[in-house]
Amino acid sequence: MIENSIEKTIDFNQPFNNDYLIKISGLYKNFGKVKVLKGVSTQIKKGEKVVILGPSGGGKSTILRCMNLLETPTYGEIWFEGKLLTPVDPYLHKEIIRNAKTYKKLFSEIKSFNPALSDDEADETVIKEIKDKDLLKKYEGKEYKAEMKKLYKEFFQDINLTRQKIGMVFQHFNLFNNLTVLGNMTLAPVQLKLKTKEEAEKKAMELLKKVNLEDKANVYPSTLSGGQKQRIAIVRSLMMEPDVMLFDEPTSALDPEMVGEVLELMKSLANEGMTMVVVTHEMGFAKEVASRVLFIDEGIIKEENNPKEFFSKPKDPRLKEFLSKVL
Amino acid sequence: MTNIEIFKESFIKYEGYKDVLEGLKATIIIAVLGLFIGIIIGTIIATVKIIPKKNGITNVLSKIGDFYVWIFRGTPIVVQLLLFYYVFLPLMHVRIPSMIVATCVFGLNSGAYVSEIMRSGIQSVDIGQLEGSRALGLPFTKSMIKVIIPQAIKNIIPTLGNEFITLLKDTSVVSFIAVMDITKAFQSIAGGNYEYIVPYCVLALFYLTLVSLVTLLVKLAERRLKQSDRK
Ligand SMILES: Nc1ncnc2c1ncn2[C@@H]1O[C@H](COP(=O)(O)OP(=O)(O)O)[C@@H](O)[C@H]1O
Ligand SMILES: [Mg+2]
Repeated sequence: MIENSIEKTIDFNQPFNNDYLIKISGLYKNFGKVKVLKGVSTQIKKGEKVVILGPSGGGKSTILRCMNLLETPTYGEIWFEGKLLTPVDPYLHKEIIRNAKTYKKLFSEIKSFNPALSDDEADETVIKEIKDKDLLKKYEGKEYKAEMKKLYKEFFQDINLTRQKIGMVFQHFNLFNNLTVLGNMTLAPVQLKLKTKEEAEKKAMELLKKVNLEDKANVYPSTLSGGQKQRIAIVRSLMMEPDVMLFDEPTSALDPEMVGEVLELMKSLANEGMTMVVVTHEMGFAKEVASRVLFIDEGIIKEENNPKEFFSKPKDPRLKEFLSKVL
Repeated sequence: MTNIEIFKESFIKYEGYKDVLEGLKATIIIAVLGLFIGIIIGTIIATVKIIPKKNGITNVLSKIGDFYVWIFRGTPIVVQLLLFYYVFLPLMHVRIPSMIVATCVFGLNSGAYVSEIMRSGIQSVDIGQLEGSRALGLPFTKSMIKVIIPQAIKNIIPTLGNEFITLLKDTSVVSFIAVMDITKAFQSIAGGNYEYIVPYCVLALFYLTLVSLVTLLVKLAERRLKQSDRK
């Protein structure tokens, strides 16, 4: 049958000939026995503004946190700018399954058992069987594991390097309490030797000026209002000059009168062309800024569309219900 | 001669104060350096034990940490001093001044206690602090050193102060391995003329003063750190 080597049959780079920044394939996440994500696949293009909506507990944060590996996916692959962040998930690649000894054994068994079956049908049945029962882990030996490791190494990049290019903004800001605003902003670029202290401080002051918080450079976070904290958190991420920014409910912990200033900053970022993935409950923001809206519920993407269609012609019953509650 | 006069004579005329100063120095050095070493060892053990996703190596390290804490908390400090000075070092054919041995044993011992204190300190820092740091691309160790441990230390300053006070008082046993500390100094004054009342009362006053000073310093440090929050 198929005797090509794995490397030849898989073109891992294929999706990155275009301009996808993040590619998520077959993402599953279990917390112990709780299955939180149940097969999420999507790709995020450069310049896109993806807004993620959905009821609480649906898995929105978990998806976002898998993108920079704050959570380790149980199955599935995460790619960022052509680099693989997770181990190779063999079940996502038919070519890998077909190369396994288990496949060959099952394939010949099924063919001898049922000679009427076409090759294609047998192939499909065997692949499904192997995926469903997780047979590769069970039956493939050291060789196979070494092969997977080799593949992984080829595309692997240290997660710390990747995270430098993925900004993340949290619901509770996560500013460092032991450092001043300036210290918060310069810590990572200076420690990672991307900038000298002087360069970093200069850049930090420019960014602070942009968000009208220059006078806060030398204060500690505990003296700031929620809106100020979140704006500082955003410009702290910008210090790393990220290629994409992830926002996890950036305005949910804020007093209502402070939501506006944070959304304004996010909008101006969007206008400057930043690629953004935003989990939010701000429908106005979604309608105005999103290039694509995802509805995440019960651990899967239930619906995905441009904002106009998404809000005016929802198809999924759960989405209809959700929109009727929030709009 | 009254008791006080006897004491005065041996303290001043026979230069007992020299021993006392020497002893005071030794007591303070052993306690301060001991705590310093203890904080370093304790922080390393606590950090290893707190690593979220353990692999083979960190698992082994964590087990070693458990074993270490078990040994040093499970035996009296005097026994540890005696074992190191009279058993382990001679077995290894090394000769080290007893003062250095005492400092190291106190450091090792306090490392075991500080590791537990530090662990609770680290756990009291919001997990968001680590996530914020890791999300910027800072590696685990750097995040610990620059963000988590400074906050953890701040949280445990009072407990660490207590540990230091315990350490300071515990150093009174170092004469078991022939270190001239403040207790030993007063012992020789007392033994010199069989007059115990005044020397031992003064000795107690020395410890009381030291402990009170440390208590005051810890309070001041706490207050200053609180202020830096609100600057
Ligand atoms: N660290 C964790 N341990 C256990 N369960 C978790 C953890 N994080 C999230 N969960 C569970 O996963 C589900 C989805 O959580 P999350 O992704 O935060 O949802 P959302 O952001 O959409 O509200 C919830 O039921 C939550 O309780
Ligand atoms: Mg959430």
